[in-house]
Amino acid sequence: MTSQVDVMSKFQAEQDTRKARRIDRHTVSAIAVFVLCVVLILASRLVSPSLGSWQQVLTVLTLASFLVVLSFGQGLVILTGGLDLSLPAVITLGGVLTTTWIGNGPGAWYMLPFVLAICGGVGLASAIGIVWLKVPPFIMTMATSIIVSSAALGLTNGTPRGASPDVLLLLMKGSWLGIPAPVYFLVIFAVVGWIVQSRTVFGRYLYALGTNRDAARIAGVPITLVSVLPYVISAVCAGFVGMMLVGYANGATLRMGDNYMLPSIAAVVIGGSSILGGNGNFAGTVGGAILLTTVGTVIAAIGLEQGLRTIIEGGIILVALLLLREELFERLRGLSGKPRSGG
Amino acid sequence: MQEPVSGPAVPVGAGEVALSIEAIRKAYGATVAVEKAAMTLMAGEVHALLGENGAGKSTLVKILSGVVRPDAGGMVLKGRPYAPTSISAARAEGVATAFQELSLLPNLSVAENLLLPRLPKGVAGMTSAAGTWQAGAEILARYGLDHIDPGAALESLPLADRQRVEIVRAFVNARHVLVLDEPTAALADTQWLFDHVRAATAKGMAVLYISHRLSEVRALCSRATVLRNGRSIATVELSAATDGDIFEMMVGRRGHAARRAATSTAATLNAPVVLSVSGMAGDTLKDVSFELRKGEILGIAALEGQGQRELFRTLAGLRQPASGTISVDGVAQALRGPSHALRVGGGIAYLPEERKTEGILSGLSAASNIVLPILPSVSKAGLVSGRNERAASEEHAQRVEMSQRYLSFPIGDLSGGNQQKALLARVMATGAQTLLLFDPTRGVDVGTKQSIYAAISNFAEQGGSVLFYSSELPEIVQLAHRCMVLYGGRIFSEFTGEDIDEQALVAALIGHGGAERRASAGVH
Repeated sequence: MTSQVDVMSKFQAEQDTRKARRIDRHTVSAIAVFVLCVVLILASRLVSPSLGSWQQVLTVLTLASFLVVLSFGQGLVILTGGLDLSLPAVITLGGVLTTTWIGNGPGAWYMLPFVLAICGGVGLASAIGIVWLKVPPFIMTMATSIIVSSAALGLTNGTPRGASPDVLLLLMKGSWLGIPAPVYFLVIFAVVGWIVQSRTVFGRYLYALGTNRDAARIAGVPITLVSVLPYVISAVCAGFVGMMLVGYANGATLRMGDNYMLPSIAAVVIGGSSILGGNGNFAGTVGGAILLTTVGTVIAAIGLEQGLRTIIEGGIILVALLLLREELFERLRGLSGKPRSGG
Repeated sequence: MQEPVSGPAVPVGAGEVALSIEAIRKAYGATVAVEKAAMTLMAGEVHALLGENGAGKSTLVKILSGVVRPDAGGMVLKGRPYAPTSISAARAEGVATAFQELSLLPNLSVAENLLLPRLPKGVAGMTSAAGTWQAGAEILARYGLDHIDPGAALESLPLADRQRVEIVRAFVNARHVLVLDEPTAALADTQWLFDHVRAATAKGMAVLYISHRLSEVRALCSRATVLRNGRSIATVELSAATDGDIFEMMVGRRGHAARRAATSTAATLNAPVVLSVSGMAGDTLKDVSFELRKGEILGIAALEGQGQRELFRTLAGLRQPASGTISVDGVAQALRGPSHALRVGGGIAYLPEERKTEGILSGLSAASNIVLPILPSVSKAGLVSGRNERAASEEHAQRVEMSQRYLSFPIGDLSGGNQQKALLARVMATGAQTLLLFDPTRGVDVGTKQSIYAAISNFAEQGGSVLFYSSELPEIVQLAHRCMVLYGGRIFSEFTGEDIDEQALVAALIGHGGAERRASAGVH
């Protein structure tokens, strides 16, 4: 009887002529974002002849490495349906601690991880408030943000001192075969990040949690751990971005993280992830980060004053978020998703 | 409204076409849900829409009620073209729907749910709470639901009452066409619904009735349209069609006799106890004690709201009992959560009541959904890919007779029946020796039901234990080795093996008979 039913259900499935979708939305969106980057870089030649060169590509990638690292953590948090607004403050914390505690003195090999652990502790504090005390993520991370900024202010008495450890200078200023070191770093980070998000058990749990928390819990996903870790990772990433900025500028300021709030979220969403969590992939986010950085450099090249530049950048991010929402990709997939019967 | 022509027996406007739909087609991306669907609803008739899960019924309902717009084809309502762009546009034209997945707002009151979007206005044009309460109470009274407090938050009601509110709201809004999508899925008693449907058709309303329960369809409907793979196969007079004819039209083949679970009742009675509950009490549970043995299928029968939901959720670790103990394989356990329940003793896995909100992870593939609880063992060196998820899910899909080709689809795109199969495959994949199945065949079609029954029976034959609740008594009669009736938070009576009899169960469900009936095949 069993085998008979089995045969029948197979028969039915084959009779069912409806088609499976082949290309998933996130592949389409990642490709679209990368194509847009190339187009933008080529088009920027029209704005200024100094743009659109190989050199500009390398500059863009170097600058994008900050945002790529930052939006990896933000992306994990968003994937679970949360939001981390404490990133700018943690960037500053990471940067300030690096210059004041380590500077160009000895002991960087154990002090840098220690500073990252402190940043991770900040993320853990946010996570405790969100997961156990049920404070909404944006309020909790905003609160940690204020506490952390104030702590950084108090620690430095308003003027951060110190320079960058050599190892960070090497990472941010070095080059190999004519390509800046941060570009290599970006590529390696992008691959590792993609693997973590899309190819590990932890990554799968994040998707499950972001899609449907109750269902994930009932299915046996260890939801407490999986809810906490993204905030910790996000804060560690932010702390590391602080260190990268220290290496890049050979110093820290109290406002070094300020310009990264909206871009960290925008890179994730432009890359095709839903702001509500549950979908997206890191390849798209990397594309989003590079695209935003490209836009930033083009605007900078036009030579507008800082205030106007920020306004335009904010406007572009907003427009991008509106345009690159899910519906657009639904339509794109309708055009490009060549039907194919699954089997 | 016209006056009845000659008494209520001949409905107003009978013989007049209320709604006709022609060559409707709707695709989601590349997935075609409905094509070449056609149907004519007459005023004053109850018209059944039949089909297996995934045949396109839900999509057709969404098109009729304005939730989605068809890609091609047209509809005519009372002689005028009908193309609603939203639920409220459909209502404005007199077409209202009671949805299967209830569309009410859980945090608002019953009265607000019934009256939105037009709440009564009071002073200065502000909405009036008293007016809303009053109007809500009147509507409830008109439909014989005085026991529901119009001011109560919807989420505080038991599922059956929420469904009644959904239905009443559709009645209130429907002028020409009323669509009822699986209206009895959560109702133990259908008489209330049938009475009001008949009253509505007597006034000339056309009712489209979607149900998997053929007996209900036969009791209520005059004609039926059968959908298969998104196409309308035929419209038949129900009085002229046998169940076999209808089944054949639905699935494209002759049905086979229902299987009966291998009656290994005697063997299971002496098997070791795997799960034992004693003196469990909580919000609705008063005092529940029972034992579940190895290889046993233990059915729970109960009317809506007798504590079955709490019992299952407690055993799954989703809530803590106020008192009482749970022992797994002879060891008392405090279950901290579903992932903990999976690990104690032989493991307890829970198939939840609400497929959409507690079961599926809609964006992920069916394969990912199935292997989610066992991901660490599916991964190779900590890494997982769609390919090894798929490979790992195949054997489990086979156990529930789910076609392999659906494994790579996003589960949200699959029919309800295939989603349910995937969820059953998921609990079986966990390797847990005890399964808690809450209404495992809720809202699935006949073919899927048989596959699910077979999977449950096989699981028990291989030594697994199953505790299942069902809202359908024939299912318990067919599947269970032993059956307990839950009434008022207590185990009211218990039946074993051949004594499990539908009539006796019905009597016990409503609290007739008592302990003295225990293990006797009393006929009501």
